[in-house]
Amino acid sequence: MLNRVLAALAAIVIVCSPALAQSGDPERGEVIAFTCSGCHGIPFYKNVYPSYTVPRLAGQNEGYIISALKAYRSGARKHATMQAQANTLSDQDIADIAAYFVSQAEESE
Amino acid sequence: MNRSILACIAAGLLLAAGFAEASGNPGRGQELSSQVCASCHGVDGNMALAEDYPLLAGQHRDYLVVALKAYRSGDREHAVMNSFAQNLSDQDIEDLAAWFARQDGLGELSFD
Repeated sequence: MLNRVLAALAAIVIVCSPALAQSGDPERGEVIAFTCSGCHGIPFYKNVYPSYTVPRLAGQNEGYIISALKAYRSGARKHATMQAQANTLSDQDIADIAAYFVSQAEESE
Repeated sequence: MNRSILACIAAGLLLAAGFAEASGNPGRGQELSSQVCASCHGVDGNMALAEDYPLLAGQHRDYLVVALKAYRSGDREHAVMNSFAQNLSDQDIEDLAAWFARQDGLGELSFD
């Protein structure tokens, strides 16, 4: 029962989140996100030290992409390459990149 | 002769790598997920309770392991995740990662 209530709440959150999210421009995002392709556009590309596969991003939540990039930019989340990249991004850049990643998932469905 | 020895060694290494990849038990991961992760991420990792929570289904296994260990150690900060990860053993983390990585969900970006 509790699970059903939670699932229903989650569905509402997911359905409503595009309206709540900062509006990003996926076309501008595509241009800015070209840098990201060097690692995230290569399937199974490995991060070094520690060595692990860089995360999959297509279909990821827009809000999570935004909060992750902002956490890298502020230094709250640590990763040398991602902090260096995020340092160059404005709030609008971040919103546009997230919108582009989301639009990609919609295309692939 | 040398070639066949090398081929045997290579095959052995590949097998070993395969077992290392499969070190998590996805069945146990599913059970753990339903108890610990599901209310925010969904049992299969395809749900997000808040708009800035990540989807986990289909994420790379080794990235999930690194992320959970970083939450456990406090290197990665998130009040809720830090507290949940505290209770996870290395084996729990491997099992959860094996479970979420097998679900249909996230994909690779393409930049054509």
